[in-house]
Amino acid sequence: MLVLFLLFRFLPVVGAVLLSLTDYRLSGKWTFIAADNYTRLLSDNLFHQALLVTLTYTVIFVPLTVLLSLGTAVLLHQVVWKRGFFRGVFFLPYVTSIVLAAVIWKWIYYAQDGLLNAVLGLVSIGPVDFLGQSRSVLPSIAVTSAWKGFGYSMLILLGGLQAVPKSYLEAAMIDGAGTWQRFRYVTLPQLRPVLFFVLVIETIGAFQVFDAMYVMTGGGPVRSSYSLVYFLYDSGFKYFDFGYASAIGLVLFLIVLIVSLVQRRLVGRDD
Amino acid sequence: MVNVLERPPVREVAERPAAGRRGAARLTLPTLLALTAIVTIVPFAAMVVVAFAPPSGQTFPDALNPANFTLENFSKVLSSSDIPRWTVNSLLYSLVSVVCVLLFASMAGYAFAKKKFPGREVMFWVFIATLMVPFQATLIPSYILVSRLDWVDSYWGLIVPTLANSQAVFLMRQFISQLPDELFEAAQIDGAAEWRIFTMIVLPLVRPVLATLGIFVFLWHWNDFLWPLVIGQSGKMQTLTVGLATLQTQAVPINQVMAGATITVVPSLLVFGLLQRYLTDSIAMSGLKA
Repeated sequence: MLVLFLLFRFLPVVGAVLLSLTDYRLSGKWTFIAADNYTRLLSDNLFHQALLVTLTYTVIFVPLTVLLSLGTAVLLHQVVWKRGFFRGVFFLPYVTSIVLAAVIWKWIYYAQDGLLNAVLGLVSIGPVDFLGQSRSVLPSIAVTSAWKGFGYSMLILLGGLQAVPKSYLEAAMIDGAGTWQRFRYVTLPQLRPVLFFVLVIETIGAFQVFDAMYVMTGGGPVRSSYSLVYFLYDSGFKYFDFGYASAIGLVLFLIVLIVSLVQRRLVGRDD
Repeated sequence: MVNVLERPPVREVAERPAAGRRGAARLTLPTLLALTAIVTIVPFAAMVVVAFAPPSGQTFPDALNPANFTLENFSKVLSSSDIPRWTVNSLLYSLVSVVCVLLFASMAGYAFAKKKFPGREVMFWVFIATLMVPFQATLIPSYILVSRLDWVDSYWGLIVPTLANSQAVFLMRQFISQLPDELFEAAQIDGAAEWRIFTMIVLPLVRPVLATLGIFVFLWHWNDFLWPLVIGQSGKMQTLTVGLATLQTQAVPINQVMAGATITVVPSLLVFGLLQRYLTDSIAMSGLKA
């Protein structure tokens, strides 16, 4: 068992670092090229594009999914009626795969015969080619991923909401605070650590986006949904440039690491 | 899914809206909730409707008429694609992993939590460190390793590397640490061998965690995409999730794609329907993430 972990968990991590310093190809031949892969990345337009796409996607996806999960969590917290049932409904997409979500939503977004354009057609809008335009492709994919995953963050936030002491809210009420004021000045500050946790895992998840793009757009149109992981996948399994792909992987790791550290800083300061 | 309805309205009195709130506001929130729920469900409903709709009648009024529903799409997609084989692959990938990960994780978790051995702390921190590295960052070296072992396009390559699940070990270690040391000391004094302590004391005590973790490991594997995509290169070795992705790039009619999609979602829904409450409660507690 120890061998298993050393071989398949630890070795790949070390291997990723070492590989990124070589020009390892499919044949297994390699030479040590130091940081050449990294300098190549810096001047690679495809890398710039992938980084830009990933950042844009993250900027769209994270607020969308956090607001969606916070909104549904607050609704569930406020409305007692059939809470377990509704909680189940919101959690349902989470147990399915992102591939399934992507397949369904790709069809929803179809310019012809798609569900969304059929609905928009009723009010004489469109048809809109949601996935075929570089302007709308990332928001459309972000909506799909948010739909698939918001149930998880919603549960975490719901747990956080239920942990806010009732006495605080009652005290605020006695002091004459309205619903919004109680939420803004009592609930939200109490929720901060949980909210940060959700923010970080969703950000990390957003940087790793791949499946939905692979299925829905193949990275297009004209690479406007070509993410970092997509770039890594192509470099590795289309061009078999394993050393280069490992370097991309390490850049991804660094980004994720920085996000985690920044979060620890921010939360740590509060405690 | 019946059990979700039975959940008692906890703390109803305490959470009753503030006195003086108007009747309209009382209705607004539940309405909003119901609307959000409907929007959440629509994509699933659409998938099922299209899967059962007759291939010719794709326009909405016709497709929605249950009288026209047919199993034709299912029989076509089952015969024209490798779905039966993919299902077997997915089941193997998920079930073998669940059994092995649970066993390994509880053994390693027990060792990290209760056994003293040299290098324990260092090893545990190495574990935690590997948790920080996103899977995609180690995709290439893992693939090269598997190809060096000549395991590409085989069940070995698909399953074995995913059995080293650090997250599961971490969770089990956290849980077992909370068990009182006296239990294990008493067993040792009674002369129980290590294996006996593990099977007679540790396993029964961790059963509730194992159930939750098992559900998650199942869902991780059943829904996994990138690793099976890279390893299962021939059509025969694809999993259902990868198969679905390939299906929709080929010229397969949308009704059949949706029929395939409906098939892939059934096991997840079964797991969800049976254990929904269990699953949701445990996330709120432990922050487990698929």
